[in-house]
Order: sequence, then C-alpha cells, then structure tokens
Amino acid sequence: MANVRLVNLTKQYKRGAEVIHALDDVTLDIEKGEFVAVVGRSGSGKTTMLDLMGLLLRPTSGSLFIDDIDTSKLGDRQLAQMRARRVGFVFQEYNLLSGLNVLENVMLPLRYVKDGRKRGAPRAVELIERVGLSDRVRHRPTELSGGQAQRVAIARSMVNSPSLILLDEPTGAVDTETAQQLVDLLKRLNQEDRVTIVIVTHDLDIAGQASRQIRLKDGRVLTDERVGAAGAGSLGVPVA
Amino acid sequence: MEVLRNVTRHKLRSFLTISGIVIGVLALTTMGALAENFNALLDGGVTYFGSNIQVGPPDGQSASLLPISKIDEIKQIDGVAAAFASYGFSAKPGQITAVSFGIPDTIVAGDPAENNWAALKTTFAQGHQLDASSTGQVVLGSTIDKEFAKKIGDTIDLPVKPSDAKPDFVNHAFTVVGILNPTRTAPDTFAYINVADGQTLLKDSLPVAIRDQIDVSKITEAINVYGKPGTSLSDLDKIADRINAQVPGVKAVRPSQLVNSFKSGGAIFTAITTAAALLALIIGGLSVVNTMFMAVAERVREIGLKKAVGATTFNIMGEFLVEATLIGIVGGVVGYGLGALITIIANATTPPGQSTLFLVTPNLTILAIGFATVLGAVAGVLPAWRAARLDPVTALRNE
Ligand SMILES: Nc1ncnc2c1ncn2[C@@H]1O[C@H](COP(=O)(O)OP(=O)(O)O)[C@@H](O)[C@H]1O
Ligand SMILES: [Mg+2]
Repeated sequence: MANVRLVNLTKQYKRGAEVIHALDDVTLDIEKGEFVAVVGRSGSGKTTMLDLMGLLLRPTSGSLFIDDIDTSKLGDRQLAQMRARRVGFVFQEYNLLSGLNVLENVMLPLRYVKDGRKRGAPRAVELIERVGLSDRVRHRPTELSGGQAQRVAIARSMVNSPSLILLDEPTGAVDTETAQQLVDLLKRLNQEDRVTIVIVTHDLDIAGQASRQIRLKDGRVLTDERVGAAGAGSLGVPVA
Repeated sequence: MEVLRNVTRHKLRSFLTISGIVIGVLALTTMGALAENFNALLDGGVTYFGSNIQVGPPDGQSASLLPISKIDEIKQIDGVAAAFASYGFSAKPGQITAVSFGIPDTIVAGDPAENNWAALKTTFAQGHQLDASSTGQVVLGSTIDKEFAKKIGDTIDLPVKPSDAKPDFVNHAFTVVGILNPTRTAPDTFAYINVADGQTLLKDSLPVAIRDQIDVSKITEAINVYGKPGTSLSDLDKIADRINAQVPGVKAVRPSQLVNSFKSGGAIFTAITTAAALLALIIGGLSVVNTMFMAVAERVREIGLKKAVGATTFNIMGEFLVEATLIGIVGGVVGYGLGALITIIANATTPPGQSTLFLVTPNLTILAIGFATVLGAVAGVLPAWRAARLDPVTALRNE
C-alpha cells in the first residue's frame, strides 16, 4: 500500500487567456517511511505538488490517494480531517502563531480532532522534548531563533501522529549548520516513527541525504531516483 | 485563552470597539431604566383604576361635590359590592410644581376599610393603618415621609402652609401613625387621613360665604365603587353604565377608559426604549463589524495556517464569532454596569420628596447584556464568514 499515490495529477492556473501548467500529469507512488526530496528550479511546480499532497489545493484533473483513500471523493470537512490527522505541514516561514506559546503552537492541530487536546497533550510535551526545546515550552515564537521556530513547527506537524509530513523549503531561512541540524532531526523522526517525509529544497546537500530525489521541471517529473542514503523504506534503486 | 489574547493584543482597537458598545448599552440601560420607572408608575395606575369605578359629579357641574347619600343609592346597583367616599386635596397648595415626572403630594381622605378592596395593596414600613373613625391621624407614603422627615408619633401640619398664604389659610396638625413601603407609584406621595378629617379640610377649602351653610358631613368629593373581588374590567364597565343609567346626579367613569389612557402613556416610553436600543445597535454594531473585518484582514495567514493543520470553515467561523461575542459581552457588562451606576447615583441624589427617575429591573438587565451579546455575535457573522471561506493556500501566501 502506497502512502501517497499521484495518478495523472494535474494543476492548471489560468492567467487571462494563458494556461499555466503548474503540475502536469504527474504519476508516482511514495511508500510509507520514505524520505523524499523534491528539487527543481523556482516555478517548476514543487510547492504546487506539495500543496496538492497536503490537500490544500484541489487538482484540476487526475487523482490523489493518501493511505489508499481517494481524496477527490472527499468533501471539505473530510479533507480538513485528513489534513488534521494524516498530514503534517511545515512551511518556510510564518509557521507559528505569534499569540501562542511553544506548547500551544504544537498543540494547535489537536484542536481540530475529537478529544485531541485531552489525548494529545502528553504527545505534544514529548515531541517538544524530542526536538530539544523542553526549556522553551512557555516561550513565544518571537523569542525563538529561526532554527528553534522550525523545530516547533516540526513538532506541531507530528502531534496528531500523521503518516506523512510535508515540508516546503523549511531550511530556506536558516544557516547551513542549523539546516543540517533540522535535517538530522527529520532523519531521526523518519527512522524512529517510520513517518514519511517529503521535503522541498534548493539545497543539493540536503537533497543528497534523502532516500529518494524527485526532480521537477515545468510541472513534470524530470528524474526520480532512489539513492539509499537514508530512509527506512528506501530501496536504493533508481527509477526511470 | 487565545480568544482573550486576540482581544487584548490590540488594546486600543479593542478598547474603542468595546467603548462603542459601552456607549450604546449605557444609553439603553439609562433610557430603559427611565422607561421602566414610568411603566411602574403607569402599571400602578392601571392596577388601581382597573379595580374600581370612579364616580364624580355629573358633567356640567363645576364643583366636585356629591351628596354622601348617593353611596347608598349606588350600593343598590346590581354588581356593586362596596362604595366609599373619597376626598383629595393638594398637600402643598399654591406651590408651583416644577417640571416633575412624579405625582404631586396629595392628601387622600377615605375609609381605611377601602384598603381591603383596593387592588393596589400597600404595606406598612412602620406603624399601622389609621384607626377607624379616629381623627387627627395620618399615614404617609414613603416619598412624602422622606420629604418631611417624619417618624411615627411626629406631627405634621396639613396642608402645608405656602409661603404666600392668604391670611385666612388654615391647616391642622396630624399625628403620623403609619409609614408605607415604597410602591413606585401613586401612594408614595400620598398622605392618608380619615373621612372626618377629609370633611374638615373640605370645609376649609370652601368659600367663606357658603362655608357655614353646608353640612360637610353629608358631602363627598367622589365615590370609589368596587365590584366583588375578581370582577373583570368589562363587567366593571357594565356596572359603571348601570350607575349612570339608574343613579341620577352622578357620573361614573368606565374604568377601561382610564386604563387605556395609562396604557397609551406606556407606549410612549416603550418607544423611548426602542429608540435607545436602536442607537445601541447602530453604534455598537458598526464598531464590532469594523473591528472584526480588521482582525480578519490582519490574521489572513493565521487562518491559512489553521486550515492547513485541519481547521474547517466551521472551526474558523466559530473562533471569530466567539471573539466578536466576547467583545459584545464585555461591552454589554461594562455599559450596563456604568448605566446602572448612573441610575443609582441619580436616584440617590434625588432630593427627598421628589420621585426617583430610574428603575433598573431584572428584565432590563437581561435585555441590556443579552442585547450586547447578540449584537456582538450578529456583527461578527459577516467578517467571520469571510475569514472562514479563505482558501488556505492563498491565505498562507498573503503578505
Ligand atoms: N495561485 C496561482 N495562480 C497562478 N499561477 C500560480 C499560482 N500558484 C503557482 N502558480 C504558478 O505555477 C507554477 C508553479 O509554481 P510553484 O508550485 O509555486 O513552483 P515552485 O514551488 O517550484 O517554485 C509557477 O509558474 C507559478 O507561477
Ligand atoms: Mg515553492
């Protein structure tokens, strides 16, 4: 069973008379536990693909399965539940709510699942510890460094124990050393929890550490290689 | 709580919004208290005049004088259970009453037994009812008692001598035997005396030329007629019609006529309350709408993020509605509190003897605070709906 399955997935935007093929007929499977890097030039469709997989966008055509559920058949409420339970999201910036402290930010997705706060509070505390921020639980986002803020965002993405975490250039705003620490953290979570990780990055060094690299160009998959460096589910076999 | 923090994050803006509601609810509370006060006064009138039939001299007779023997004739009429002589005098003759919303101080003479028939029950704060067929006793209403600062056993000269009294002005000393509890309506400014004393005052009021030719003990100013307890207003009207048909030389007023005039008075004050509520609606409502739209505009990315982590349209709408409602509640409680405080201070500083102007009832409390709460919620609906419908991707990319 594939964790994520894209079948002829297409997203088009209309700008006046012009049609932009942000994602063009992409078909691929991502297995549970893979550590996937998505690379490509700016405008190649990386964010579009991630937003589609995160159910933030509806495709123009094609279908998307998550844990074998056909998401095209779901209504708005069910999509919201899928986002809350099965997918975690980390963005490049504006990840945290400034009005909430670290713990409250990590607990945010618990609000949107039944009994979430009651059952999820210990999990939130545990995750904050795992990302190394136990001494920052009551801090506000403005009191954190960029790297710490992204750790909080990562902890938040994990709080509902999703099978899949999507990260859109999470290291774009931090220095190389901090970026590497974040990647190390992601690798650890990938290995310990068998959570699937899909990370969009410009950084070839980071991409090289993934178990699989998908390169996009003009909304199409240019290359898709399994490299076997990391990832519990990696096969180490390049795919055409 | 996040909602509280959102409200307190923009202190000045929230303060201004809440002030808008506070002003509206303040207006509503004070105007409402004014209207409630009048309504209590008018309700007293409705209760009193709805329970008996006022019988006076026939149309065309200028002096308000009737042979007391008419009481016996009226008692013969079908449906009449009791009839009492009644006299009324201004307690402060010659005084130009400044514009006052209350009922002027009045001396009312009647049979203490009438109290058993009257629908408007009075109770004693101190002392007791007039002793039957005694003279020189007086029972004071609460307001008139405060005005003259009398205790049980004190004497009071009635009517009060005006500063420009004519040389032949006379009054009499009465001993205070009872003080009534406040009723918020007519009895508060009344001084009750016995029939015999009423007749004495009547004699004093007659022109010197005829004063000694008239036996006041055979004369009454008016007759209050009662049916059996529980007689309906329409049956009382029918009794009034029968009195007019069968007893010559008197004129009975249909109680429904008096009741209706009181009720139409009440409608005016209800209109005042409604106008105040409308004012509150416009001021408060617009400020909440404005604030919530600003809050939505500046929290677009927050909404996007929340949707990305699983919030539904319904969740987001709920969060904004709670916030708007909270602003409404806070504004409502503060506005009501200030309004109530103003009415308390205004009532407390009313000179003794003048009727207080404000009455804050539980209904008004519920209306004012409930109104502000609903106002906040309703004003929040549109901004909340707009916030909730935002597409998460667009919202997250919003700068
Ligand atoms: N909301 C949108 N409206 C119109 N065009 C869009 C929109 N979002 C993305 N695009 C276009 O789709 C293409 C892919 O964008 P994106 O997925 O953001 O690329 P990447 O993340 O790889 O830089 C780009 O040409 C971009 O301009
Ligand atoms: Mg992008």
